[in-house]
Amino acid sequence: MGRGSEAWNDMATFIVAFAVALLMGAVVIAATGSSPWDAYRAALRAAAGSGYRFLNTLCNTTVLIMTGMACSVAFNSGIQNIGAEGQLYLGAFAAAMAGLIRGIPAFVHVPLTLAVAACAGAVWALMPGILRASRGTNEVVVTLMMNYIAVLLCSYFVNYPFRNAAATWPETAMIEASARLPYLHPLSRFNGSFFVALACVVMIVFINRRTRTGYEWRMVGLNERACTVAGIVPGKVMLQAMIVSGAIAGLAGGAEVIGVRHRFMDAFSPGYGMTGVLIALVARNNPVSVALVAFIFSLVKTGAGGMELVADVPAELSEILLTLIVFMLAAQRSLRGTLRAARTQQHAGR
Amino acid sequence: MGWAVDVADLLGATFRLATPVVLAAIGGLVSFHAGIMNVAMEGFMLISAFTAVLVSYYAGAWAGVLVAVAVCLAFSALYALFVVDLQSDGFAIGFALNILATGLTIYLVRILGTDIFNSPEIQPLPHLGIRALAASPILNAILNGHSVTVYVTPVLVWAMSAVLYRTPFGAHLRAAGEAPAALAASGVSPRRVRYAASLICGAFCGMAGAHLSLGYLTQFIRDMTAGRGFMALAAILVGRGRPAATALVGLLFAASEAISMKIQAYAAPQFALMLPYVVTIIAVTFMSGKPKKNVSSAPEETAETATE
Repeated sequence: MGRGSEAWNDMATFIVAFAVALLMGAVVIAATGSSPWDAYRAALRAAAGSGYRFLNTLCNTTVLIMTGMACSVAFNSGIQNIGAEGQLYLGAFAAAMAGLIRGIPAFVHVPLTLAVAACAGAVWALMPGILRASRGTNEVVVTLMMNYIAVLLCSYFVNYPFRNAAATWPETAMIEASARLPYLHPLSRFNGSFFVALACVVMIVFINRRTRTGYEWRMVGLNERACTVAGIVPGKVMLQAMIVSGAIAGLAGGAEVIGVRHRFMDAFSPGYGMTGVLIALVARNNPVSVALVAFIFSLVKTGAGGMELVADVPAELSEILLTLIVFMLAAQRSLRGTLRAARTQQHAGR
Repeated sequence: MGWAVDVADLLGATFRLATPVVLAAIGGLVSFHAGIMNVAMEGFMLISAFTAVLVSYYAGAWAGVLVAVAVCLAFSALYALFVVDLQSDGFAIGFALNILATGLTIYLVRILGTDIFNSPEIQPLPHLGIRALAASPILNAILNGHSVTVYVTPVLVWAMSAVLYRTPFGAHLRAAGEAPAALAASGVSPRRVRYAASLICGAFCGMAGAHLSLGYLTQFIRDMTAGRGFMALAAILVGRGRPAATALVGLLFAASEAISMKIQAYAAPQFALMLPYVVTIIAVTFMSGKPKKNVSSAPEETAETATE
């Protein structure tokens, strides 16, 4: 089987999973007393009903592409980094701080702010990375605990030392105009950070396909022990992947601040980092698939907002749909694996 | 004497706070021994905390606990179906279950109305005490007035270590994790043992969740587990799957939680709330050492499935 047909197979599997998830979602909506047809129509209209709504969906895709990329880089090299949420918070807060510096021209200020965000995310990922690489400490537990710590730490910053007293919600002051990415459409929040996200995808595709680093990430993810024999130091490679992963998650937070909110707000993320984990799992760590899956997830999440307003179905239905997609995919993949195994056994039998 | 009563209060709070973590950890170590690292305990606890409150509102606390355990068993059967039978990645399925639990509980709270979930009509679990101890203010603060789950938990810890190390089932469990091929050769299906382990884990998480929402607060709040499922996982790793050691680590985490609640009045609450998470990281880093067994979040290919 060629590479192309594999991609088509994956696409078909995803479409089936998505369709089944939507059907099951319809059952849930009907069971809780609303009309699935009305709800889904409202969702579609809210997510893609007009030009500016579609641009808003793309805007919401931005942060999901980046958290999805962050998770997939780590997963690809065998680290189960579920800390994108915390790395995102630190990145966002650092960007909000860097954005307050006055008197820098925009062509320096924007990249500077993004760089600071990426560094903050990378620093937050560093400790779990070092612990995993040097002591074999379970990174699932450490990164998850660090999510809680990051959210609390940023909450402290924004409630006490850096609070904008004029605002009712705990948040920082608005960043300078020179640090903002302008909205590209008058009715929508769509802005240049979308292209930053796409650049991340291109960069990771390049690293994965064309560099030694990408090869090492993949090899360590596939078989840690064999790498040691081949002269690759797994700990070093994992740490590297973890730093890149944290940097991308931090960048996601930075992009959200300079592109959409223009300030850091307490508890601003509705689980972007956690959705990123799901995206990476569904996309099986393929960067291009991550971007596509992030777009579809964003359609679902943005649509769910409209569904709540119009059809009175709580927006949390989107979380249920997204996890149903994961279950349906897992079931299909397992089924395909079993069928393939049965076929090879048949051949062997002859 | 003032400080002694304070310390006694702290110890009492520790027992109360340790119960959900220890219960979940005791269940989780069963699947740990069977070779499955269950990352879905967080979600299991959340769903059962939700169910317990909902059912207790209509039918009382005991019905709440029973239905919570039943619902949790259903979810852990789903988990086992994917991880044991369909050979899916346990990390992916567990993580998805956690997100499903968060989304589903909030969805249902909003459909059913928030009034049910903090209503005074939710029945708490019965609280017990020994009258003879009430005379001493210190012993009274430490040992009396806890909900029934607090007193049941140490018994379950003891029972679990008896089952694990003194019964055939315990031997099968450990074999399913360490040498599934040998277990299959001896005529016991590793698949069945893993299913049983997953269901036991679910039942314990169900009790843990019910204690969380009916033990003291008698209400359901979104994401009220707040990482306790992963603290349970950390306790298992640090205790290397031994029930008594795991329970002790759970007590340590609970003590840090109790202290964090005490110092909230003196420090910025954010820093106080960080304490249990920091203690958990320190514990898994410095106390768990290098893992001896190769426990992954998915069972390895067993002899049974390989020959089928």
